[in-house]
Amino acid sequence: MTDAALDLTEEIARFRPMLYRLALLQLRDAAAADDVAQETVLAALEGAPRFRAQSSLKTWMFAILRHKMIDSIRARDRRVRMPDEGSAAELDITGFNTLFTAEDCWAAPKDVWTDPESVVERKAFFRVLEACLTKLPARTARAFLMREWLELAPEEVSAELKVSAGNLRVLLYRARMQLRLCLDLGWNRA
Amino acid sequence: MTERPKVTCRETSWLVSDARDRPLLESEKEALAEHIAGCSLCQGASEQFAVLFRQVGVYFKGDAPDSDEDAPDSDEDAPDSDK
Repeated sequence: MTDAALDLTEEIARFRPMLYRLALLQLRDAAAADDVAQETVLAALEGAPRFRAQSSLKTWMFAILRHKMIDSIRARDRRVRMPDEGSAAELDITGFNTLFTAEDCWAAPKDVWTDPESVVERKAFFRVLEACLTKLPARTARAFLMREWLELAPEEVSAELKVSAGNLRVLLYRARMQLRLCLDLGWNRA
Repeated sequence: MTERPKVTCRETSWLVSDARDRPLLESEKEALAEHIAGCSLCQGASEQFAVLFRQVGVYFKGDAPDSDEDAPDSDEDAPDSDK
């Protein structure tokens, strides 16, 4: 093995924890997330000779993971079809009441957010974002990730989660509202 | 002149979320734009959602910086007073 190939192998292995964390957000099952992270690493090692550095290695590996996840869902792989009861609170449309006045106006002015730019700012931001994603209730997180990460059609997500279109709309709304609130507290005001 | 449906801030937040999943109706777009134009609270909230959606995209694409603890940090400390 050449030095370059060895370096690439090491680099690929280094991303495994990140792949695992992202997979876990979607699957909420440690063993299943570990499996798919491992499969992604193996697929990357196999494909490494064909890897061209047009994208970063990490972006490339995240794309492999994403495709594996979509394939598993479409193949009706048992592994990603955990029976997911979810809680009634996840479908409570009257949530976030404290954020609004009785007239349904925002109760408090919103701080101005700017996209994090420096490496240090970005690290801090994404650390909080990951923590906020982890805090979402399982079914809410899975709905959000299937839409925003896997980019599955809402109909597919509804079918996968066995919820109505209306309930999916609530789950996605709650995910976005909770993430905004969590970032406002954890990152913006940190 | 036709009467356009008025929306509240809370309804606006629903439309901002809905717009991620389906194209809004013309009437919804107009109601949303009109409300946001006249509501500084919703302007702030919409901007926060925009940052959230952009950065979530970055994270899912694998473009976020590595967060492992053993990764070498930059030498200089973060100026943390500006947030």
